[in-house]
Amino acid sequence: MPRHRVEALVQLLRQGLAIEGQFGLHPIEALVWVALTVEESVYRPESFVQTPTGVAFTLANPPLRAGAFSALRVGVDGRAPVPEGVRVRSPPGGAWREASGLSRSQPLELRPGEPIDFEVETALEGRGRPRTVRLELQSVAIPPLVWLEFTDSPRPVAGAP
Amino acid sequence: MSDDRRSGTPVLLTSLSSAALLDGQGDLSSPRETRGALYDWGGVYGQLVRLTGPWRVELSRAGKTTGLPATLVDAETFPGGWRSRHRWEGVEVVQEVSAVESPPGAVRRLRFTTSSPEPLRLTVSSRVPPFLLPVLVEGVRPVTFDVAPQGASVYVRQHGFALRLSSSLTASRITMDGAPLPSSSHHGPVGEIRFDHDLEVVAGVTTELLWQVAGGLARDLEVAEREVGQPPVAPDASMAAGALADQQWLERTPVLDLPDAPELSRAYASARAALRRLYTAPGDGLVGLVAGYPWYSAIWCRDLAVMLPALLWLGDSEWVERSLNAVFRFQSRQAVQVLGGEPGELPMQVGPGPIFLYGTSDTTLRFPAVVEQFHRHAGDTGSLGEWGDALHRIVEWARARVDPATGLLRHGGEAEGIEMATAALSRVRYGIDSPDTTIWDSADRRDHGVDVQVLWCGTLRATDRLLREVGDTARASRCRGEADALEGTIARLYLRPDGHYLYDTLRGATPVEQVRPNALRAVSAGILDHATGMRVVERAADPDLTTAWGVRTLSSDDPGYDPMAYHAGQVWTIATAWAADAALSVGRADLGVEYLRTIGRRYEAEGGFANECYRGDRPEPFNSCYLLGFSVAPFLCVLFERLWGITLDALSGRVTVRPCFPASWTRARIDRLRVGAGHLSIDWSPERLSIRWSGTRPITVVGAGGEMVVQPGGTGELRGRPAGGQDAGTEPSRPAV
Repeated sequence: MPRHRVEALVQLLRQGLAIEGQFGLHPIEALVWVALTVEESVYRPESFVQTPTGVAFTLANPPLRAGAFSALRVGVDGRAPVPEGVRVRSPPGGAWREASGLSRSQPLELRPGEPIDFEVETALEGRGRPRTVRLELQSVAIPPLVWLEFTDSPRPVAGAP
Repeated sequence: MSDDRRSGTPVLLTSLSSAALLDGQGDLSSPRETRGALYDWGGVYGQLVRLTGPWRVELSRAGKTTGLPATLVDAETFPGGWRSRHRWEGVEVVQEVSAVESPPGAVRRLRFTTSSPEPLRLTVSSRVPPFLLPVLVEGVRPVTFDVAPQGASVYVRQHGFALRLSSSLTASRITMDGAPLPSSSHHGPVGEIRFDHDLEVVAGVTTELLWQVAGGLARDLEVAEREVGQPPVAPDASMAAGALADQQWLERTPVLDLPDAPELSRAYASARAALRRLYTAPGDGLVGLVAGYPWYSAIWCRDLAVMLPALLWLGDSEWVERSLNAVFRFQSRQAVQVLGGEPGELPMQVGPGPIFLYGTSDTTLRFPAVVEQFHRHAGDTGSLGEWGDALHRIVEWARARVDPATGLLRHGGEAEGIEMATAALSRVRYGIDSPDTTIWDSADRRDHGVDVQVLWCGTLRATDRLLREVGDTARASRCRGEADALEGTIARLYLRPDGHYLYDTLRGATPVEQVRPNALRAVSAGILDHATGMRVVERAADPDLTTAWGVRTLSSDDPGYDPMAYHAGQVWTIATAWAADAALSVGRADLGVEYLRTIGRRYEAEGGFANECYRGDRPEPFNSCYLLGFSVAPFLCVLFERLWGITLDALSGRVTVRPCFPASWTRARIDRLRVGAGHLSIDWSPERLSIRWSGTRPITVVGAGGEMVVQPGGTGELRGRPAGGQDAGTEPSRPAV
């Protein structure tokens, strides 16, 4: 386990004890229910694959905020997130849309419980190593940027380099 | 809220622990534009947990199928529930829906009759998508559930949250996503659970079918079911109890009669009824008010602090005391970075579990003034000792944020703190780049928003007075000194060079040019001199900030103005109430009343609901909860505190009445205004102020005509023209005592 993660867990443990000391065990239990639900219900690790042109993945729910989004950008392995080369469809089975074609008048609509497929064209350096994907969404209604970032190892699919 | 078939008017059924959201067509479906996209909020909510998605009923017969809404004949709200009548293929259906308090959830009762000489075979299907996540988590529906058949019911669990679906008649079939329900438990994705009932409807016989959805915290559901039982319970007793509680509550609230502005009397009644729908006691000892419906159906403490003063004016000091106890229970005593909590901080949000989060700049600052107002209205300092330490911790929490050079409170970075504390814990990270957490929490108003400084000043003033009540003059004097200095600093640093308005914030020491309604809070607090206050009020009435449907969050002349942006151009009713408050506080009765009328017109147009916000360029709700406490409670407070000009102090037995009515008004009356253990009736005309008092101790009433002592059970009258809006040159009135 990386050192920063161990430190974070120790810090979490300390804070868990602080919460328990003030409010009892129930809040810790309830916060874990919520945290686990969110962890399980957005990014689908089994969906992350390396494609011939980049990566693809699925979110089972919008990240934190639902509604209409006028912009979507994705960046891989530290590259600045951009709309170019990003395709999205929600719900799966619908028509693919180019992220570069999204706008206030043609937004991407995301709803709780509706999965979202992403395909990202990007050059990947090295093989079989974890990738960090950052996704940014711009709501039409509430200005601050919504983002999600994950680090995971994509499964190769046929035709992938 | 009775004309339920009006297009777009939702139906909201609530108990203290649950809610049912409908669109008035026959199903528990409630599609609403949400953050720019249509989303269905219909379903059942228990213990502030969304139990289900939209709950639909279908009828099938002789190869035909229809949704219940397609068969609607008429519908009505009745005390304790909502009723719809349907007709289809020779069958008459009467449906009643009610929110049930224990176990938390909702019941649907369908009664089928026919006049057909032949028995009619009918299949009735109930389709319920489980949801099972507290409302505070926006935008996520859990992916997996545990489902288990239990007798004639189905039990669904998602981590510590659970629900039970049950029916009064044994279902002919129970299916899950089209397949028969497994006989043992199932773990995995679940789209929908369906109960089919094959019925035979015979002339002269009423066939009754009852469905219940109950749930929330799994452990609480277990307890409630032990007490009440598992099978669905006929809702009659629950509906009657709910209706009776509402009626009794209503009969304890003041009656307001404004013959010269009957539309404001109606708006008062509407706002009062709407506020009642927000009462919640969801379990785990929590008591409070839900912030709004549909997507803020949780106890947000900022919103609670804004609403509690209205409850005091409505005479419900008991609910206020219980709410304050609930909030102070979660005051953080240590730093808890993962929850955004600092020592002394009050939570942003609390819910059963208990689940709570901190991390706002202003929530904590709002409570000392509420505590003080509670004591003045209730006439009881019994809880002061208990809350005294909590208040002290609040002041210390704020002092830790004060810029030593200016004395201004610094805000911003609260959400980033949570993000940093949790960054290394998971391989998946989420965030919303909100650098700031004032009431307009999607706007970056760092570092010293003017309204936050006004709140900080209010905290110091309230704490000063409360500490004096308990004889702690040393700490009280320090608070008073800081408040005096802060008032001077606000007047000095925020006033624009032309003297007509205040800067919205200071970034470091640099004023931010934005024109927002938040500056009006300094006028209401009496921080500015009268002439400056008048200029600020008049500036806010200019069309870049004030529209025919309310006040914008940002001037339309600002380069950052966006009519669809939540806090950068949309019209918010709470801002309209601020404008009314400020206008009346400087004696601009005409303008203040016009702002109040603007709000009243919205209530009428919205069937008794009160939208959160509207587009900045047209009177159209956008990204708006259809009922928000922010949109009713401040309006109620302005009626009592500013229009009527009442300040009351049950501790000293003193009430001041200085109305700010337009010069043309001839009569106004309030009955049943609670002051401590007694009630006051006030009858106003330009020539006199008549009082009737039911308390057990004499009360001193102060008006423009002087002051008088009214004996218990007695009456009194002050003659002479009360000061009011007609005297536009009067000094601004100060809040509090």
